[in-house]
Amino acid sequence: MRNRMQRIAITILAACCLHAGAAEPEVYCDNIVVVLDASGSMGAPFIGTNVTKMAAAKSALKQVLLQSPRAAQIGVLVFSAKNVGTDWVYPLAPRDDARLIPAIEAPEAGSSTPLGQYMKIGADALLLQREKQFGYGSYRLLIVTDGQADDVALMQRYTRDILARGICIDVIGVDMLDDHLLAHCVHSYRRANDPATLVHAVREAFAEISDNGDGAVKRDDFELLTELPSEMAAPMIRALCDSGNHPIGERPKPKHRVDVAVQTSSWEAPTVTAPRHKAPVHATREAREWIVVVMFLVVATAVFGILLRKKSQAGVS
Amino acid sequence: MCLHFRKTLLLLAVLAHFGARAGEESFQKIVGPVAIGNVSDRGPIQVPFITWGGDMITFHANGGLTTQPGSNYAGQGLNLKLVPGDDFVQQVRDYMSGKSPLLRGTFSMAGLAAEMIGSDPRTQGVVVLQLTWSAGDHMVARAELKSLRDLKGKTIALRQCGPHIGFLDDVLKTAQLGWDDVKVVLAKDLNGSPDSAGEMLRAGKVDAAFVVSPDMIGLCGGLQSTGSGAEGTVKGAHVLVSTATMSHSIADVYVCRKDFYDTHKDWVTKFVAGYMKSCEQVVALKKQFNGKGPAEYMRVLKLAQDIYGKKTMPTLEEDAHGTLAEVILPGYPGNVSFFTEQSNMHGFDAMMSDALNVAISRGYSQSRTYLLKHDLDYASAAFKRYLSNTEIVRQDRFRAEAVLKEIEDLGSGANLDNRTIVSFTITFDPNQTDFSATQYAKEYQRVVQLADKYSGAVIAVRGHSDPTKTLIELVKAGVSRGVLARAGANGNYSYSFQGKPLSLEQTPAIISLIETGAFDGVSEHNPRENMQAALNLSRKRAENVRDSILDYALKSGLHLDKSQIQPVGVGIREPFIAKPTNMDEAKQNMRVEFRLLRVDAEAVAPSDFDL
Repeated sequence: MRNRMQRIAITILAACCLHAGAAEPEVYCDNIVVVLDASGSMGAPFIGTNVTKMAAAKSALKQVLLQSPRAAQIGVLVFSAKNVGTDWVYPLAPRDDARLIPAIEAPEAGSSTPLGQYMKIGADALLLQREKQFGYGSYRLLIVTDGQADDVALMQRYTRDILARGICIDVIGVDMLDDHLLAHCVHSYRRANDPATLVHAVREAFAEISDNGDGAVKRDDFELLTELPSEMAAPMIRALCDSGNHPIGERPKPKHRVDVAVQTSSWEAPTVTAPRHKAPVHATREAREWIVVVMFLVVATAVFGILLRKKSQAGVS
Repeated sequence: MCLHFRKTLLLLAVLAHFGARAGEESFQKIVGPVAIGNVSDRGPIQVPFITWGGDMITFHANGGLTTQPGSNYAGQGLNLKLVPGDDFVQQVRDYMSGKSPLLRGTFSMAGLAAEMIGSDPRTQGVVVLQLTWSAGDHMVARAELKSLRDLKGKTIALRQCGPHIGFLDDVLKTAQLGWDDVKVVLAKDLNGSPDSAGEMLRAGKVDAAFVVSPDMIGLCGGLQSTGSGAEGTVKGAHVLVSTATMSHSIADVYVCRKDFYDTHKDWVTKFVAGYMKSCEQVVALKKQFNGKGPAEYMRVLKLAQDIYGKKTMPTLEEDAHGTLAEVILPGYPGNVSFFTEQSNMHGFDAMMSDALNVAISRGYSQSRTYLLKHDLDYASAAFKRYLSNTEIVRQDRFRAEAVLKEIEDLGSGANLDNRTIVSFTITFDPNQTDFSATQYAKEYQRVVQLADKYSGAVIAVRGHSDPTKTLIELVKAGVSRGVLARAGANGNYSYSFQGKPLSLEQTPAIISLIETGAFDGVSEHNPRENMQAALNLSRKRAENVRDSILDYALKSGLHLDKSQIQPVGVGIREPFIAKPTNMDEAKQNMRVEFRLLRVDAEAVAPSDFDL
């Protein structure tokens, strides 16, 4: 937990600095999709206050999102709101305050809590973006909810898959008496039992910026791996790296591009159009072998025929 | 009949002069004694041409074998008689005897003749025009040769005294090999006979062969194809390297006699300018070609077909257009750069030095006799007012987004290896951010040289990270989630899985659990986040290295096209040592790898003239 708290200490300002020096920010973009629960219960006030959970969530998101790095991409996905025509009130895109603020303010608490379904929608958008960024950058799903999902089985299944794809999941349980079911199977879970805590929790979730490199290994750390079979390490690494960007809950599609042993030209040189001359016709080894076999059969048949005729002639004579 | 096969027939007589020991004979001995005579400027000047796309421009400039009214050369007041010159030895005889003031060949071929023609001040050679760069010569190799470094100890066939001698020299330099590292077999013929390089490869006598496009297609099916063994192809045969990528290797030139050059400089200027004017016209027409037309372009193709014959050039749309498409035209901008720019690594001085090195090392020359560089005034009205395109503008060779997508899509493994011409690596320390030329000058110089020589290829700068930290996080996450059990203390840990000591047989089950998220969701240990950070970091390192190389080139006064160098982050995906046991082993994983890669045509930004 201490490590994570250290990471949390990295401010949004630090994230801004990280991107300021990036040569190709569109490739390194941090991507965060907020899944906001707008079910009916979010319309209720925090216990002991007259501030509804929905209003507090909106306020917290506005405060934090408006301080997020410009280079980061933000998406706001709302489920069960009664008054918005689209779930993506702010599709995953660079921050545009003029559009973002009205988008956050718009939804009003509505009906049920199909969380699993919306986690998939949000994660799929992140995976699509990861494909566009060639795998670079970072990808987080921030869930702000005040109740258990209606589709628990779906939620649990999708959660495992989302985690296995390398998308970090942060959950904020808003004014919940018990922990959310996701509390013990995601990367971070924060309780927010009042508006101030909610702001703090959202801010912490947004501050989760990776700071890991390849230089932080200590000499003693190698001993942790001593008993790990060496031959097991390479496939473990590949399993981590090759999680794929196919939609959540689906199997990866086979890649079409195969350069190996193509039989016809699939590529022409930059400025070359080689004359389309027919390749010289040469008898292949197989063809030559067949010719030998056929010739052998012809000769054998002829010899057999001659011998047979001679024998029959001898018999006649 | 293919164009180059026809060329072979024309060359057969010449090549008959060369015995098996041709490479060890001096060029002078091959040509034999020739009485030096003066060039007559009465009547048309005899100008040799060869069977090559660049000479189709000469035909257009002249309007035919003799200068036609309305042609560019007629407009220049020239009167030329174009004569076949595929027999290079005969060309040299005609040049020495005064029948023609010009020699037409590749730079390396001219280099072979430099000593002989330079033996008399009258015939000393002045290179006056670069017509083209080749994009239609290839080294085809057997299946077991995957990259250039595999050439060591192998047998390579090439045509005697042909253009491929310089090409092979460049290939060996790329692989950091010498001529003694390979066995060279000199083929008497270009193709169509058992004594040609391609047929030697087909017969299994050699490991690799230098061939021209039609033979390359016959051997392996195409530039990016592998022979299947069917339809005459050789199973497993593939193009190891081509001038389509190594596009600054074979330069075609005209060489002029010094005595003629001195007394007819105006004529030479008009000859060169007329060729450049014709380049501009043909390039503009070629852009409009879309399988057919425009009419004026078809007339250019038809003229070439009439001169070479239908046997050599059966169709206009494929054969004639294809022959022209196999050359890269420098035009005026490229010639100015070739002859005058000190920073041009594929310019006259570099080509001259390379050509003489080969001529001497292979026994064609005994002394280092240079060809001369012309001193035509490119800034004069003869060029500036006559030509339309006299701006020396460098533009990106590649479309950045297309290159990025293509290289990222290639990923790793066989697809990447199949596209790799050559690769090498540098290592660095943990958290290293400075990749200065002071530390890596040798490698950076190699990158700059490769980028210049292989202007049709891209150099991927691939950053790699060490996986130790990610593996540690993975194991710790597994322990936290209860997938793995750990016993013992620091220095004496042991792990178990499903109640049994961790063993290799359990790998599939462990991998399956990693793939289904059983190691994820631990707040303190997130191996995927670590892996992701390493991926980002590795690409940023690759960017730093790319920028350092660009800076090195700039400070060295060398031109380097940024679009040709593509940084890629590999992260922890391809470690040398998957489970390092100490920091020294971990450091071996921290590396930046340079890969020279062939890329799709879509990645190349079209330009009129090559600089």
